[in-house]
Amino acid sequence: MSDLRSPEQNYFQGKWWKRKDVKQVLVIWVIATLLIGYLSSKLQVLAMGNPASETMENVIHLITVFTWASSPVAGFVAALALQALSQKRHHGDMPPPEADHNISSSPRATAVWLVISALLCLFALIVGLIALQKDDQALLDRSAIHVNVTGQQWAWNYDYPGSTGVRSNVLHLPVDQPVVFHVTSMDVKHSFWVVQMGIKIDANPGYMTQTAVTPNEIGTFDIRCAELCGLLHAYMQNKVIVESKADYEKWLASQPDTGNTTWTAEGAIE
Amino acid sequence: MTTFATKKDKKTLIERLNLFTALALGAIAAIIVWRISLALLPADSESAPLFTREDKITLLSMIAWFIGFMTGIGALIGPFRWVQGKDLSHEENMFYAGKDLGVKRYFRYTTDHKVVGIQYLVITMVIFGIGGILAMLIRTNLGTPGGGWIHPQAYNSIVGTHGIIMIVGTIIMVTGPFGNYIMPIMIGARDMAFPRLNALSFWLIVAAAIPLIWAQFIGGISTGWSAYNPLASQAPLGMNGYIMFICIFAISTMVAGANITTTVVRMRARGMTWNRTPIFIYGVVASVALALPAFPVFFLSQVMSGMDRALGTSFYNTALGGSGWLYENLFWIMGHPEVYVILIPAVAALMEMAPVFTRRPLFSFNVAVMGIAGISGLSVLVWAHHMYISGWAPLLNAPFMLTTELISIPTGMLFLVLVGTLWRGRLWMTVPALSIFALLWNFMIGGITGIYLSDVPADAFLHGSMFVTAHFHYTLMGAGLTGAIAALIYWFPKMTGKMIDKRLSWIAFWLTQVGFNVAFIGMFFVGLQGQPRRVEAYADIFSKGNLITTIGAYTIMIGMLVLLHAVISSWRNGVKAPMNPWQAKTLEWTVANPVPLENFDVLPTVTSDAYGYGRKQS
Repeated sequence: MSDLRSPEQNYFQGKWWKRKDVKQVLVIWVIATLLIGYLSSKLQVLAMGNPASETMENVIHLITVFTWASSPVAGFVAALALQALSQKRHHGDMPPPEADHNISSSPRATAVWLVISALLCLFALIVGLIALQKDDQALLDRSAIHVNVTGQQWAWNYDYPGSTGVRSNVLHLPVDQPVVFHVTSMDVKHSFWVVQMGIKIDANPGYMTQTAVTPNEIGTFDIRCAELCGLLHAYMQNKVIVESKADYEKWLASQPDTGNTTWTAEGAIE
Repeated sequence: MTTFATKKDKKTLIERLNLFTALALGAIAAIIVWRISLALLPADSESAPLFTREDKITLLSMIAWFIGFMTGIGALIGPFRWVQGKDLSHEENMFYAGKDLGVKRYFRYTTDHKVVGIQYLVITMVIFGIGGILAMLIRTNLGTPGGGWIHPQAYNSIVGTHGIIMIVGTIIMVTGPFGNYIMPIMIGARDMAFPRLNALSFWLIVAAAIPLIWAQFIGGISTGWSAYNPLASQAPLGMNGYIMFICIFAISTMVAGANITTTVVRMRARGMTWNRTPIFIYGVVASVALALPAFPVFFLSQVMSGMDRALGTSFYNTALGGSGWLYENLFWIMGHPEVYVILIPAVAALMEMAPVFTRRPLFSFNVAVMGIAGISGLSVLVWAHHMYISGWAPLLNAPFMLTTELISIPTGMLFLVLVGTLWRGRLWMTVPALSIFALLWNFMIGGITGIYLSDVPADAFLHGSMFVTAHFHYTLMGAGLTGAIAALIYWFPKMTGKMIDKRLSWIAFWLTQVGFNVAFIGMFFVGLQGQPRRVEAYADIFSKGNLITTIGAYTIMIGMLVLLHAVISSWRNGVKAPMNPWQAKTLEWTVANPVPLENFDVLPTVTSDAYGYGRKQS
């Protein structure tokens, strides 16, 4: 064989789309794309369950969009692989005869591949940036209530605004009310994960981190620690109870005043 | 003294040193330093943090072990001679290369790249064996929701140890055995550029292993493999074992990286231009070259971690002016290039095999090189996607999302090369050929789930969940290990002179691949349901998915045992392999079995690339 890779061969000359192997690939491609997209997005939505906030709805939506956007790529690779497997397969200890061509590159196929993968990448980026923008804006919502979250080995504590010293180890939230969490830790790193609301932020000792959400379902949901934090990490979880505004007010008023609050009037939390 | 003793006089020092003197000297040194430091180190003052004195003693003993072991294996003889102004004589060099030593050379500081390659292969299999047993313990514990029979502290330690040794195992699984044994022959060289550094890089891994085993008896590594601070600073003494292990392993990786890179750049056969250099070589070089910037940072992060523990510094202690985020940054600056250190050579090995088993040229060699280069370049710019939700720098989330998603473009190029090579080929159904399909399947799933994770809002849900665990097992095991096992089967005839048992390796392939997909699709499911990583007990809703994963894990285990049996039985009494059983065109298939000491009598001249398969179309 010569030094130089052989030039582009006659892949695309004549009516290449009428060739048998090309047709096979196209058919498998369509079927595989639909199958992969449908099955995996169904499975994902099933696993993620019912969302309890718009943020989580967006997460489910994003994952579904990504699945459908990437299933043509997966389907195409599957089609080429299956087509190759459907050809005459050679078993045995000696190699099969050489292939009937020695094509070693195709600038056109490469260019198409690159452009499409760049476009898909751009698409993923734009979709992600839009969603990210929404999440960032939620932090600035002026109508939001604020809750201080303190992680420690191995429990979460919640301090409530307004009152002087309500502290609880079960999170109560009013429905349809934006809430901003200020999260910190007393010892090691934890991660504050409100599962069905699709938010998570690390609790770092000595720093305050923020995340925000608007619960839109009444019910009881899960909070878990998502960062290995030592011996009882697996058990560092509790519940968030989302209730109507009136129930929430009633609950808040019924709580004893612990006298020590982490809340300051300026909204800054120490 | 300096002349090499042949028959009459007593054995010289060089002849006496081997693995057993190394173990003995290491143990003696550790015990002596332990006793001395126990006697002399002052007690901690009242204000000092916990553990400091014990940490000092542990670290000093481990350092003594390390120095003793390396002295005992003979790593210091060359440098010592050099200081004296003499170098090793020719006979001594040949002795070092393992000439006429038989099996003994595998237990010595042997410089022959083929011996080092076999040593790496065996230690990789041992590592996977231990890591696999730990994985089975984890999966058995997670078979039922209550967790239960493993104590949480032990469980955390098992998780951490499984993580770190599998990471190390996968880092060396291709560049170690095949990068050392096959690569020099493939480029037409007689040995590596620095044979003694080659031996050094291997024995450093053995030296590193002991502190990690040691750690299990003094509290374990209860922090996960990432050993985040401040959790690591409050972890028991075993953490020092982790720190020493990483420091020594990082040196090993850097030494091997410098050696392999130099070898490939300087020692390719006459006529082997970059255009004619096999794609596997590119994969190996990209991998070790990426390790060169990554591992010094890892080394540094652990030195600082050790200083925080033993000397009372506060690099990572927020209360005293440090920051845990510093550790996270340093760790992931290593951690993200590192996954491509693992992945690239495995994929490149399969790209090397693809033309052989389709009997047609590699499709788009240039695109393959561009893909490898693109991934390598971008991979040093993406580390903070592990820290989207750490709160370190929310403003940087968008730029890191950009760099991370850009990696999908060069990764796509690797897919193009593989499917392009399958297109209109003559498929030869061997296990390596099947592995190409397995890689496409697994790597596709691993890659697409990576896109979900690269997206900040989706990551806010998925980060730290079992979804992440399933994702990186799909890339590192589903793609990486599949490629490494295919490479083992492909190069087995050259490395051992025997053919591997076809039927057994076939069974092993199907068991591991089916088990793997069952296990980790189950794990994706519980991750999406909301199960965090590294937990030893979980809520009832996750029990179905976890049971499926455990069943899959046992299937993998059976498959791996079948593979191990195939390797051992074929190695011992398999069918003798012909010189070129696959009718491949790279240079390693032009040398005899077993490969002679210096590979080539006459160095070859290369006149074309290695992919000249297929009939020319008129």
